Amino acid sequence: MKKTTAILAMMALALATSQAEDKIVIKGSDTLGAKMVPQQAEVYKQAGNDVSFEIAAEGSSTAFTSLLSGTADIGMSSRNIKDSEKDEFTAKGMEIQEWTAGFDMIAVIVNEKSSIKELTTEQVEKIFTGDITDWSEVGGAAGEISVYTRNTSSGTYKSFQEMAMNKRDYGSSTQKMAGNEQIAAEVAKNPNGIGYVGLAYSENDGIKPVKVDGVKLSPKNAKEYPISRTLFFYTIKGKLSPAAEKFLKWATSDKEGMEIVEKVGFIKP
Amino acid sequence: MSKTTDSSKTAKSKRGAFPRKGFRIFGLGLQDFIRYFFGGNAALAIVMLVLICIFLAMEAVWFFPQHHHEYRIYRQAGQEYVDLIGAEIDAHTRLGSSVNIAYLAEVNESSKREDRLINALMQVETAVENRTERLTERLEDARELIEELPEEIEDAKDDAEELAELQADLIKAQKEEQEFAPQWRKAAAEALELPEVWDFGVNVVKLTDNEKETIKEAALMAEPGFETEHPFFAALSEESKQKKEVARERLVAFKAAVDELRGAASPMKTLHGELRTIAMENREVLDKFETAPARLEALLEGIEATKDPEERKRKEEMAAAVVIETPDYVALTKPIYESQSKHAELIVPFVETVKTGWEKLPEVNSLETKAGRAKMRTAVSDYENFLRSTEHATKAIPEWRHDRPMSKVKTVLAFFVGKEWVTNSSWHEFYGLLPLLSGSLCISVVAMVLAVPFSVAAAVYVNQLAWWREQNFIKPALEFIQAIPSVVLGFFGILVLGTALRNLSHIESLSWVPGFPMSERLNMLTAGILLAFMAVPTIFTLAEDALNNVPKAFTEASLALGASRLQTIFRVVMPTAVSGIIAAILLGFGRIIGETMVVLLVAGNKIQIPDFSAGIGVFTQPAHTMTGIIAQELGEVDKGSLHWRALFMVGMILFVISLSINFAAQRILKKLHQSY
Repeated sequence: MKKTTAILAMMALALATSQAEDKIVIKGSDTLGAKMVPQQAEVYKQAGNDVSFEIAAEGSSTAFTSLLSGTADIGMSSRNIKDSEKDEFTAKGMEIQEWTAGFDMIAVIVNEKSSIKELTTEQVEKIFTGDITDWSEVGGAAGEISVYTRNTSSGTYKSFQEMAMNKRDYGSSTQKMAGNEQIAAEVAKNPNGIGYVGLAYSENDGIKPVKVDGVKLSPKNAKEYPISRTLFFYTIKGKLSPAAEKFLKWATSDKEGMEIVEKVGFIKP
Repeated sequence: MSKTTDSSKTAKSKRGAFPRKGFRIFGLGLQDFIRYFFGGNAALAIVMLVLICIFLAMEAVWFFPQHHHEYRIYRQAGQEYVDLIGAEIDAHTRLGSSVNIAYLAEVNESSKREDRLINALMQVETAVENRTERLTERLEDARELIEELPEEIEDAKDDAEELAELQADLIKAQKEEQEFAPQWRKAAAEALELPEVWDFGVNVVKLTDNEKETIKEAALMAEPGFETEHPFFAALSEESKQKKEVARERLVAFKAAVDELRGAASPMKTLHGELRTIAMENREVLDKFETAPARLEALLEGIEATKDPEERKRKEEMAAAVVIETPDYVALTKPIYESQSKHAELIVPFVETVKTGWEKLPEVNSLETKAGRAKMRTAVSDYENFLRSTEHATKAIPEWRHDRPMSKVKTVLAFFVGKEWVTNSSWHEFYGLLPLLSGSLCISVVAMVLAVPFSVAAAVYVNQLAWWREQNFIKPALEFIQAIPSVVLGFFGILVLGTALRNLSHIESLSWVPGFPMSERLNMLTAGILLAFMAVPTIFTLAEDALNNVPKAFTEASLALGASRLQTIFRVVMPTAVSGIIAAILLGFGRIIGETMVVLLVAGNKIQIPDFSAGIGVFTQPAHTMTGIIAQELGEVDKGSLHWRALFMVGMILFVISLSINFAAQRILKKLHQSY
């Protein structure tokens, strides 16, 4: 009798620990958590890994607060950890570990017949906020600039604002297009057009991406290109469960994991 | 008494004539069911209409309190104050940009001839490059390696393994170079024969055969990886540079004035930047405070729902950590109040420098180029605008108080006559109806101007003059238009009509037409034409009905009195049917203002009040519409947020407009029926 109880108890314990180990909690950035990580998790599970995921995407800051309080195994962030945040970890005797999840790049495109080949970030900001209205102001042939942007509900609308426009509002003369495809089509038809699209659309007919701050748009230059950001996973050294570590390694280097990164429009690390 | 028996008798006999057959449930037969079914449907439609009205009103009505609240926070955070300075800087930036463009137009004029050719060469080169992209890239890579590798080989002398690897790479690159270079030349030569490579689009460049040959030569010389330049173009760009240099020397006073004027703002810009950051942080604090009660409530609810004691304890701790403490408004806005004196200190030299810079600028008419003169004229109004905005700010800034109550009327007006619609902002969201309303109305004007004459004339022709075979053809054909889905029309508008109109507008002999050449293919004119097309069947059918309702006797009497056919139409038939025709036009207008898909795809979606100073040309500008904004933004917006309610408010306005149009049309139609 005693024996069976002990065995049962042990089994229950084993079950409980195995369950605890196999559940991976991922919290943080909305950019990563909206599409990429859930899709990776799904494929990872289908590949025969017996784990369950809990993913909460509420913004990059929550990645660090959750890691700090121990409520997440992995944090997702679309920005580097701040020094103040790092301090909090240090204060608790923890060391943070950084994994590159991918890169996010936005191409600034002009008509292929435009004489503009290069812009600075400041010029990009001024063009999209409406401070610069004529191509001659940035060294091109005279002509009023037509600015095409995504519509206000798009995520790229906001991230472009943060990455390239110093968080300033778009100029009121910008035209809000339905998607990447429409921006590319309008810029291709308008010699005075400028717009931004995801990397996948930058090679469409009739348009060309401009160099920004002298850096050419190419996955090779993801780190130097100014309108790009690194997407991170953060973990705490020594506290990472084997299951979570296995998943992270898969998500940041496995071929299948990389395919998803590219499918959702990011660049693989 | 006898009457009742009579009627009961007839009822009985009726029952006899149509005996009740078939099944009966609760004493109701099949016919009763059909009757109630139709009656029920009609009632359901009315109930639905009422429900839609209530739903719209319920969502929209909370817009104004919430909007008012947001404006209060806008003031408390000091953003309103910062925007006062921002307005000065914006006005200054516009002015600076205008004079700068005018100056650049003057400078560029000097080397216009040279630049035209250089631009043509650049465009051809890009076009060739795009058409030989893969080869270009590979050739570039190979040539880069050939240049870099020898150095690396030099460095790696000691490491035999690496040395061998590098040397192998070099040989491979050389081989590739030898293979790709002729291929590239061949592909480039082929590309140069394509007519589209020589299509310079809007910036029309006319080339002589000689120039074309030189460009071809130069384009072939610009092989990837080499920096060689054709001597003709090297000379040309040198000449262009020199001419510009001469022009710059000549215009040195102009440039100095422009620089003085533009540089005047920098201390003010620094101040604005600092204050902006502070106000943004304030806003964050206030927003956090505003949402804290809701967060606490959610946490408490979560505690109720959790059973696990540990989890519960953790959530309780979280709830305890939520602080609902009124922010210290005075401390938050302290740096803003402190900047009042700084602003007062800066504003005088700012305006003075701009004024002296402005006075040093050349006269509008002394400029050589048309573009320069036009921009200088814009600058004149920009300058007045700047003076107005600084005057306004100087007056408003010392009086500004963060705790002054926001007037309710003002926030309501901010919606109805607001000139800005800024959403998803990191700063403050503005919901102004005017850009959308004006866009909707302008497009409707275009559509009505085109549709009314066509459809009314068609109705008169078909009803009064056409031979019956023509009638049988024209009527169904016009009504068939209605069967085209609007999204199909939208695509047609983008791909065919928009492009065709834009190309047409760039024909030089048509440049006298107001608004031509158009810079956008998606604009109000294109959208208006398509909407006119969609409204024609509505107006035509209803107007034709109205003409049909004119009693035959009127026409016959008129003809019998010796009036001609046309006299009869214009003096008798049309005046009789006029109210019906007006109703038809109104209903056509209702159709136009409510149309969504076409305007969303074709109107250009620029959220700005059209620039009416362009005269009739205003209609070639892009615009956004009330229907379009709802379709575009409602999908992604948080339910219950201010943005969501603002969109419902726009929907409400649209609903009211349509309702009053329909009401008016019905009243007019009723009058028609009373008249004879």
